[in-house]
Amino acid sequence: MPGPLPRRKSNAWWNRGWPYRIILLRELSAVAVAGYMVLLLLLVCNVRGGEGAFADHLEVLQSPLLWLVHAIILGFAQLHTTTWFRLVPKAMPLKLGGRRVPDELIVAGAFGGWLAVSAVVLVIFLVVA
Amino acid sequence: MRPSNEPFFWAIFSAGGMIVAFLLPVLVIITGFLVPAEVVEFRQLDNLFGNWLVRLVVFGVAFFSFFHAAHRIRHTLKDVGLRRIATPLAVVCYLAALAGTVWAAIVVL
Amino acid sequence: MTSEATAARTVTLEVFRYHPERDEEPSFQSYEVPYREEWVVLDALNWLKDEVDGTLSYRWSCRMGVCGSCGMMVNGLPRLTCNAFLREFLPGPIRVEPLRGFPVERDMVTVLDDFMGKLTEVKPWIIREQEQPVEEGEYRQTPSQLADFKQFSMCINCMLCYAACPVYEHEEEFIGPAALALAQRYNLDSRDQGNEQRQRLIWSDEGIWDCTFVGECSAVCPKNVDPAGAIQQAKVEATNSFFLSFLPFTPPGMGR
Repeated sequence: MPGPLPRRKSNAWWNRGWPYRIILLRELSAVAVAGYMVLLLLLVCNVRGGEGAFADHLEVLQSPLLWLVHAIILGFAQLHTTTWFRLVPKAMPLKLGGRRVPDELIVAGAFGGWLAVSAVVLVIFLVVA
Repeated sequence: MRPSNEPFFWAIFSAGGMIVAFLLPVLVIITGFLVPAEVVEFRQLDNLFGNWLVRLVVFGVAFFSFFHAAHRIRHTLKDVGLRRIATPLAVVCYLAALAGTVWAAIVVL
Repeated sequence: MTSEATAARTVTLEVFRYHPERDEEPSFQSYEVPYREEWVVLDALNWLKDEVDGTLSYRWSCRMGVCGSCGMMVNGLPRLTCNAFLREFLPGPIRVEPLRGFPVERDMVTVLDDFMGKLTEVKPWIIREQEQPVEEGEYRQTPSQLADFKQFSMCINCMLCYAACPVYEHEEEFIGPAALALAQRYNLDSRDQGNEQRQRLIWSDEGIWDCTFVGECSAVCPKNVDPAGAIQQAKVEATNSFFLSFLPFTPPGMGR
């Protein structure tokens, strides 16, 4: 008599509904992160290359294609930030006075800190420099 | 059951993930939108990147971001069907991150 | 709720059928089942077995979300069929399949050997270096110590988390969400001293390190166990221990 039906598997697990699709997008944010670091290093390179090199760089940056690329990167960066902060309390639960701090509070704290850090970075670029 | 070397890469992945989560959105807004809109100008950027401390931070962010990305891409490719070549895949991903880190070091030096 | 389905008072069930002695390949069979607002998918299956086809095979017992035996895929997602109301899936059809990731014995009955083996391997019981004699009383624990692991102790071994996990689907060696969460449950228990015995297995590539934090295990858990959280916490511990092992001394408070 034939035995049990073997395990069924599919590489398209990520297409089994929105929760899985969002997880794949979350993971793909890594591609945007790496791509952005290349763009950032190129900028540093050309700024240090002097005003001429920077002018060329700026011209490329102002092309519609690069606007679009940065918009996509920004979307992925935000997806990373949002998903990452939401998972923080799961990996690092906090206890205060013998009680577990509610997850929502930790997530809210992370977002608060993120807003503060972002403001500081903006001030550094716009005011301090 | 041999002990895993994964903690080493996971630690860098996690630290990188935290750094990316905090810094990337605002950095993309600045260098992707405020710089081309000329709200942030050459003079300001030159001042900033002329500072060795800022360059050191850029290097640190690059190192953690590249290894964060490499680790994530490696595991994602594994999960969508490249499990059979998991080891060469890991080598390729981390070597790419290492190459990016070396380039970052050259850029900030 | 659509008026059509309630007016007709029936709903279509597409049921996975596979009898190894009869079928070469699995197939889906459609049945019209009476629709009742208070019926769950399990009630519909029981009605089918009683009234239409006595050969329909599936596991169930308590009908109240405690025994963990009636887990099946309902419209592609792992559910306890005893708490999946027909009314959630109107107008239908409702597709019922065996849990994903497991071999199928017949119809919705899966082969559980792999999970049961893993469950034993992680030693989900309190391990003591030396048992304390009964006269000395019970092992005491504060509410705060209980809070460390209570959530992870609610597991009913229903295996919905395995069916939701794409890593387990592709890597049979992966110890998987429920077993890892239970290992963590005992590792976090102040009365337990078995941490080191479990570590070799748990901290391996087939243990926590195969997990990529998809997190659907926690999303589908009917008992809010949060296996994904348990696994990430174990990763943090394993990582701390990995780096500390390079230190020439044990920092205070880190020895176990």
